[in-house]
Amino acid sequence: MSVIIAKGIKKVYNPKTIPVHALNGVDFSIEKGEFTAIVGPSGSGKTTLLNIIGGLDNPSEGYIEVGGQDISKLSDNELIEFRKNNIGFVFQAYNLIPVMTAKENVEFVMLLQKRSQEERDARVDELMEAVGISDKKDKRPSQLSGGQQQRVAVARALAPKPHFILADEPTANLDSKSTSNLLDIMANLNKKENMTFVFSTHDQRVIDRARRVITIDDGRVVSDEVR
Amino acid sequence: MLIKIAWRNIWRSRTRSLVVIGSIVIGVWAVIALISFSSGMVTTFINNSIKNELSHIQIHNAGFLKERGVKFSIDKNADLFEKIKNDPNVLAASQRTVNTGMISSAKGARGLMIVGVDPETEDELTGLSDNIKEGDYFNPKKRNPILISKKMAEKLQVKVRQKVVLTFQNKQNDIATGAFRIAGFFSTGNTNFDGFRVYTRRSDINRLMGEENIAHQIAVSLKDPKTLLASQTAIQEMNPSLSVQTYKEVSPEINLFESQIAISAGIFTFIVMLALIFGIINTMLMAVLERYRELGMLMSVGMKKGQIFLMIMLETIMLGMVAAPFGLLFGYATVKWLSKRGIDLSAYSDGLQQFGMSEKIYPDLSPEYYGMLAVAVAITSILASIYPALKAIRLKPVEAIRQL
Repeated sequence: MSVIIAKGIKKVYNPKTIPVHALNGVDFSIEKGEFTAIVGPSGSGKTTLLNIIGGLDNPSEGYIEVGGQDISKLSDNELIEFRKNNIGFVFQAYNLIPVMTAKENVEFVMLLQKRSQEERDARVDELMEAVGISDKKDKRPSQLSGGQQQRVAVARALAPKPHFILADEPTANLDSKSTSNLLDIMANLNKKENMTFVFSTHDQRVIDRARRVITIDDGRVVSDEVR
Repeated sequence: MLIKIAWRNIWRSRTRSLVVIGSIVIGVWAVIALISFSSGMVTTFINNSIKNELSHIQIHNAGFLKERGVKFSIDKNADLFEKIKNDPNVLAASQRTVNTGMISSAKGARGLMIVGVDPETEDELTGLSDNIKEGDYFNPKKRNPILISKKMAEKLQVKVRQKVVLTFQNKQNDIATGAFRIAGFFSTGNTNFDGFRVYTRRSDINRLMGEENIAHQIAVSLKDPKTLLASQTAIQEMNPSLSVQTYKEVSPEINLFESQIAISAGIFTFIVMLALIFGIINTMLMAVLERYRELGMLMSVGMKKGQIFLMIMLETIMLGMVAAPFGLLFGYATVKWLSKRGIDLSAYSDGLQQFGMSEKIYPDLSPEYYGMLAVAVAITSILASIYPALKAIRLKPVEAIRQL
């Protein structure tokens, strides 16, 4: 069953001044539980595509359905609510809240969802154990290494049990060992929690671990390989 | 959750927050210092006016106030005076004969108001003997003593113990004259007031006017000024035909000065708070712009615009709420200290005395003003938070996150 459907997605920045065509008609669909990498060179449009799937950006043309919902028709506040309940983001620059501890960062979205204290505590313990930073709960992001921060970011994305994890170049700032560890963690969670993972990356180490690789170039899908 | 994040966000840039907090503390302190000084100045003026000139209550024959004629003396003044003296709310009272006339010496002459007083009761009421700067207070053994101000002595070129002649109207509307010997020079600190009046004994001026026991005015000071209206009513009931006025009715400008304290307090507060608003907006705008990407991330993961708005507001209000108590405390301590010590303005005494001000100002501020100032800081913080908070929620998450 397809949980993400993109049809004829186009995205033009600055349409009235100097138009930049980021996406030129992208079509694909992603099934539940897939571990997919969207790959391509810098400027190929992969981050734009990921942002559109995540409801952070609107397509200029085309149809985008995520979790059975046409998200291009949602208002700003509806999109925020949709993201809160359906999507976990992992950003290249981690984007943790600097004034919160690792534990508080992980439980943040669950707090927004008004989950109970018991539920939050249990989920935080489980995920921090899973990503291997249970001894760093009370550390602030500035006290953690890049790899540790990205693990916190992954735990934060997974905490509310979203249907989709969208990760934009999650390993770009990590060394080989951290990258390998993080991919192991995400692959295990993908299997265990059956969440749908979509990465944008040009990191070969991530591409090697993906079970499906969609290659885009110049705003178009140029290959779609299922392994 | 929002309160916790907002509180921690304040301390992310400790120096910047401390600068804002410091500016609010100084602003609040400055408002308190300025207002307490101006309030102290006005209060000193009012108190001096009440003590030296007006007293709390003045009683006259109603006709005297209209025509100022010497014939309009108070009926049965001695009986009334006794009743007033026995009123438990009354601290002191004195009878006065008031006439207008001219004073002349060998070197000059001037128009003036002649106030005939009973030395003992007048001294109890106004502390007139304390205002004698040269010479003596009324000596019961001397004949026709007179007290004049130093300023008038300079104009008339006279010294203590020299003679002057008073010319005035008597009860028969004829011109009467009397020779008086200068007992002393007085100064109340208000040169305008002092420059146009002399004090004689009531018995002396009455004798020269041809009426032994008359009085045109009974001035009363109260133990507690809060009983002003009740005392006014009580005295009025003793003799309904008389004019019984409070000092505010005798001198309406006192009311103006009193209301001026509130008005100037409002204006000072408004100006300082306006300056603070822009300072706070600037800081909070910097805080928002600096966290643009983070705010975008918060929206990306599901934080609603209303929550972001509230978070920025809370941060701003907390800055104000941290600063206000310190400003109020420092202001209170300053006022307390200065109210005991006073601010010595003797270097400007000539100018101040023109306006009836003392050389020493004792700042004071009513307690409710501190509460009002705390509310003003809260309102300022709320107003200052609106623009940065609006700026924060107008951002597009995707553009904010892209700012790497």
